[in-house]
Amino acid sequence: MNIPESAPSDTDLRSWLRARVAHYVQLDVADIDTTTALTTYGLDSVYALILCGDIEDHLELVLEPTVAWDHPTIDALARHLEETLAQGSPSGESR
Amino acid sequence: MIDETGSRDAQAGIAGPEDDPATAASIEDLAAATIDTPTTASLNDLEHLFGDPWDPDNPTGHAAVLAADEAGEMLAAGERLLDGYGLNAEFVPPELGGRLTRLDHLIEVMRVVFRYDPCLGLGYGASSLIPAVNVWAAGDERQRRRMAEVLLAGGRAVSGYHELAHGNDFARAEFSALPGDDGRLRLNGRKEVIANARRAEAMVLFARTSDAPGSRSHSQLFVEKADLPAGAPVHLPRFHSAGMRGVQLGGLEFRDCPIPADAVLGAPGLGMETALRSFQVTRTALPAMTAGILETGLEVTARFANERVLYGRSLAGMPYIGSILADAFTDLLICDCLATVTARSVHLLPGETSLYASAAKYFVATLLMDAMDALSRVLGAQFYIRDGGYGIFQKHLRDLAPAGFGHTARVACLSTVLPQLPRLARKGWLDDTQPPAGVFHLGADLPPLPFERLSISSGGRDSLSASLSAALGSCELDGELRRLVLVIAAEQADVRRECAALAPGDLTVAARPEALRLAARYAAVLAATACVNIWLHNRERHDAFLSDPRWAVAALGRIAERVGRDPGQRPRHVTERLSAEVLSRYRDRRGFGLSNRRLPG
Repeated sequence: MNIPESAPSDTDLRSWLRARVAHYVQLDVADIDTTTALTTYGLDSVYALILCGDIEDHLELVLEPTVAWDHPTIDALARHLEETLAQGSPSGESR
Repeated sequence: MIDETGSRDAQAGIAGPEDDPATAASIEDLAAATIDTPTTASLNDLEHLFGDPWDPDNPTGHAAVLAADEAGEMLAAGERLLDGYGLNAEFVPPELGGRLTRLDHLIEVMRVVFRYDPCLGLGYGASSLIPAVNVWAAGDERQRRRMAEVLLAGGRAVSGYHELAHGNDFARAEFSALPGDDGRLRLNGRKEVIANARRAEAMVLFARTSDAPGSRSHSQLFVEKADLPAGAPVHLPRFHSAGMRGVQLGGLEFRDCPIPADAVLGAPGLGMETALRSFQVTRTALPAMTAGILETGLEVTARFANERVLYGRSLAGMPYIGSILADAFTDLLICDCLATVTARSVHLLPGETSLYASAAKYFVATLLMDAMDALSRVLGAQFYIRDGGYGIFQKHLRDLAPAGFGHTARVACLSTVLPQLPRLARKGWLDDTQPPAGVFHLGADLPPLPFERLSISSGGRDSLSASLSAALGSCELDGELRRLVLVIAAEQADVRRECAALAPGDLTVAARPEALRLAARYAAVLAATACVNIWLHNRERHDAFLSDPRWAVAALGRIAERVGRDPGQRPRHVTERLSAEVLSRYRDRRGFGLSNRRLPG
């Protein structure tokens, strides 16, 4: 999986999220649907926190640790992240 | 790096207790000065109210505490004493009329209670504190005011999180609060093993408020008994327990019980998050308070060793006995260092305490239990006998067991720490950002408790761990202590390397024992980091014992052994210094913890 250097496009972000989710739940990327609740794949509250950390490091953003609780599918999460990126990290400074 | 200049700068803006002329005068009076805190006067009041524990006629002494335990009842005289003292005010923030300004002070006060009677500590103290903290963290103005009024009037609060079928797996909680036709919520289900279930005026209940999967489907509810219809809740029969026998453990059952819609703490769906945030305060405070049990254990064992003559010599003079006393005392000091630094971090580093609180809960509880077990071997048959002069030991030993599983089991604490470690290994541990020096300055002023800034993740930051290498940079650190800090630093490096290599499957409940052990090793390194920094930052306190590096040498050696590293041969004078300190503190009636406080009487 190639990780883009610059700010990722919509598609890049979605496929990056799919790859991360597939990695954590140990399934094939093809088996991860972006409209399905992450909990369906066994991505529980703890994995959701880990995923948040990965996203923060990948996008150099500061997010609420509960971001994947509040946006429980890859699509919802990607939409929220795009908005956050568009607003220039409103929840705080980038680290 | 924390250097001397930085430390002084950090203290300059703080009116620490050392600036108080009364404290300075008392330092002159004492051979070894105590770490005076603004609560010293109230601590002494509380000690005086409890009186001499060894007086057989004292209604709150060991004999009375044992009799209540045998009868399976709370010590009524102790409850009246705490009513008179107004203990509940310790659990209420100052803006709501109470005295909860600082976690380290709360711990000191509750430690006194635990030293005398852990049943009072849990049944009168901790059981009300846990629900209260959730209300302070997430409640609205009305809920906060009502909880404060209940407690300040001497009432009791209980928390209903636990369902026996689900243990610490809160996400599976079945207890529900779903809206009825009239807009009010309907409670359905059972909460089990709740201290004071029958006697509580207020309760905080963890309930499913949505059928959706995920972590936003639960809420906490603040419910007053007065708001419930007649006949609700149904009380389940009392649970009988091996320790804490006086604590009235019950259960609550609700069947279609209406409660006001505004009972939800914060917004609906915040239940899990609120619990994970506020438990940081209580996971920090509870084990630290429970250390009072080991203090009594040390006192009883020192008394026994002092009085007992075998083979024509005092037990206290035998090197083997001395080494057990020294080790248990060292473990208590380790617990105090980690617990104090964690408690101060709640004020100063609230964004990071999701790591520290769970690590401390695991490590402190483990050390306390192991140390009490070791002391029981000194007492021999006397620890097994339920009456007689030393009977209080077996009660305290039994009462300590819930520290291992109560208010989050130790393994569940490790499971909270573990998933945060790989990111720290990749990034956070490479960052040299230091914690504010105030986390290590015993007794120094603290900002108010920032309930609203507690976070369920450290966000990849861990500044306390960075203070181990900062300690190595101090020119004050030399000799045996420096050698042992290097042993711990090697362990820290190994933990980092192994955490970076953790597989995703090792981060949740399916983790291998080796992975969970990494979280335990992380906690051990954190404890050693706290010890060496407490030593480094408090040498100006005129406490001859505290500024002597030998306790820190013993502490780091014990921790190195615990993680399977060879600390090398501990010099005999180190052990002798510690065992002599135990016996002299016993004879002078001083506390065994870091505070080294002179006890009244």
